[in-house]
Amino acid sequence: MSNEVKENGVSRRTVLKGAAIGGAGLLGGGTLLSSCGSDEATGPVKFTARTNDETGLKIAQALVDAYTAETGIEATMQGSGDTNAFQDGISQYLQGTPDDAFQWMAGFRTNFRADQGLLVDLSENIKNLGDQMPAGFVSGATNPTDGKQYIIPTTWYPWGLHYRKSTMQEIGLDPEGLYNWDDFMKLLEGTKKKGLIGYALGDKGGWEAMGTFSILNTRLNGYNYHIDLLNGRAKWTDPKTLDVFKQFEMLIPYMNKNVLDISWDGMRDLLLQKKCGAIMMGSWWANDFKAQSQADYDDLWIVPFPEINPEFGRDSIDAPVDGVVAAANGTNPEGGAAFAEWCGSENGMLAAQAAGDTSLYANSRLDSSGYDAFNKQKLAVIGEAKNVMNFLDRDCRNDFAGPIVGVQIQNFLKNPKDINKILEETQAAWDALPPLA
Amino acid sequence: MSHIVQNQKYRNRQKIKDAFITAFIAIFAVVWMIPILWTFWTSLRPYSDIIQKGVFSRPDTLNLQNYADAYRLMNIWEYLSNSFIVAIPAVFLTLFFGSLIAFVVTRYSFKFNLYLLLLFTAGNLLPVQLVYAPLFKMYIWIGDLVGNRNILYDSYLGVILIHVALQVGFATFVMSSYMKTIPKEISESAMVDGASVFRHYWNVILPLLRPPLAALSVLMTTWIYNEFFWAIVLIKSDSKRPITSALGRLQGEFVTDFNLLAAGAIMAALPTLIIFFILKRQFVSGLTLGSTKG
Repeated sequence: MSNEVKENGVSRRTVLKGAAIGGAGLLGGGTLLSSCGSDEATGPVKFTARTNDETGLKIAQALVDAYTAETGIEATMQGSGDTNAFQDGISQYLQGTPDDAFQWMAGFRTNFRADQGLLVDLSENIKNLGDQMPAGFVSGATNPTDGKQYIIPTTWYPWGLHYRKSTMQEIGLDPEGLYNWDDFMKLLEGTKKKGLIGYALGDKGGWEAMGTFSILNTRLNGYNYHIDLLNGRAKWTDPKTLDVFKQFEMLIPYMNKNVLDISWDGMRDLLLQKKCGAIMMGSWWANDFKAQSQADYDDLWIVPFPEINPEFGRDSIDAPVDGVVAAANGTNPEGGAAFAEWCGSENGMLAAQAAGDTSLYANSRLDSSGYDAFNKQKLAVIGEAKNVMNFLDRDCRNDFAGPIVGVQIQNFLKNPKDINKILEETQAAWDALPPLA
Repeated sequence: MSHIVQNQKYRNRQKIKDAFITAFIAIFAVVWMIPILWTFWTSLRPYSDIIQKGVFSRPDTLNLQNYADAYRLMNIWEYLSNSFIVAIPAVFLTLFFGSLIAFVVTRYSFKFNLYLLLLFTAGNLLPVQLVYAPLFKMYIWIGDLVGNRNILYDSYLGVILIHVALQVGFATFVMSSYMKTIPKEISESAMVDGASVFRHYWNVILPLLRPPLAALSVLMTTWIYNEFFWAIVLIKSDSKRPITSALGRLQGEFVTDFNLLAAGAIMAALPTLIIFFILKRQFVSGLTLGSTKG
């Protein structure tokens, strides 16, 4: 029924009203109903963009403008000032006088604040979105503590193995496919023979190599083990964890020598300048290839990280989901929730896309037929996965991810021989963490 | 004759020494200048040039495009006025309170003189990150008490107050050191003439404090103007943030165009540079103020 609505080109608002009158219990109908309801109940809505750059602000402005145009509710937006400072200071932001809605990240970073009562429960709003919101995103947005959702997913990007098709061709491999570890090794060997770096890695920021660690763990031991490990239900001293680092160590001979001196952008540049075979990274920088030339962009490709253990195949992926949340301490929490819901709706996403957002969108109604080959491939990469992770620093508590796991992975990259000691220290550090307040 | 030769030798030695010192200073000057020159150099190059060819490469194009873009994106005048709305009252209040305390601890003899001075200077030793969490709670608490959470948090007033609180210690320290060099007789004659405590401070001592006041006001303006931490943690509304946060507009979540950022940073630094060049003499004399008297 909701599809019919769209096909007929009838404005959803009219249909909703019709549906409401007709008493049709549409899921899609609920969206409009709830926003209609909030029309009367709530005043102006304030919205903070997480980023502060030109595109981010432009998208946020487009969102509030379109929201006002559609619902008649006054909405204003502002930038966060500084993306990192905003992320670090989120506790204070939420305890002070936050805006009603703001852009945020799914996973622990949302759930932890939700458990503290700082975010508005958006479960009803997710229900209102109905089939617009794919099940994978709903599960990614669900807080394990209480089974509710506190974020409306909007955009995401996959982490995968990026390489240049031309390099694969030169080595005699299928440029668009690379399935298992053997293929991967051939790629690394081939590029190494050519005198290039096989597997480029930069871990100056301490988080870049987490992507490699997480994917190796899920490939070897499965998604559940990985999540259990990050949340204290499995041990870092377990031989299974040791195996992951042994696998990781196999990659070191193919790596650049300055792993701890370069960041993710250094990795990108190595691929851009054709100095390496492959990198494992989230694909948010594809536009930099396009900026260099269309040929470079067409040469860029992404595949899921290769299979290692056939038991798990390639069933997991890191695909951090971003979205919009509503602050409990805002002046208009209901208005914030309605706005967040609208951002997750088809109209919200269309507004953001029109403003130049090139991210992939979570809404299932959006037409992806216009995507270019690389973006279609991104969809295929995530389509293959059964389990979606939010990236290590959003899948476990923040005082463990950055200060402990990140640093210990750096230590491992410095001295792979010390791995037993490193794992013992990591476990000891987890055991020493205070309970979450 | 031999005397002249010796003198010549001595002069040669001095010359060598001078040459060494000059070379030494030159090296350090270069080391200090490199980051600034490098920033300037970076700001002239387009970002695309850097990703394609690396940071250390010969430029294809050098232009002022980054400055034009940064100016357009930064909304510079609004943020600049915010900076001064905070910096000017903060500097005045700091100097006023600092000179009051310095006046009392140096001109009057109390049992707790030294402790009072220590207390004010010790506050400076605490890292701001440590003070931040309790201060935030306090601001919210005071806000709740008067029924308006934004009375201190997310307001200029709150930021001005914290700057005053943190800077007043240093201002006190510098001014009390300077005041100790003012002869006691001046105070004595003022008191003999029947000046009240306030008149003694306002009409007698304050006019004599002009050099340290000038030096401190330059220093404090620079410090407060350059400050970013309090502005970002205590101000929630972007429309009230200072110029340092406008630089955030030039940074993406992942991708940052450092060439653009360099241009923005240089523009943001211009007002302090201008202030410095206008008041250079006071600035330099400020660095050695009170150093002759402990």
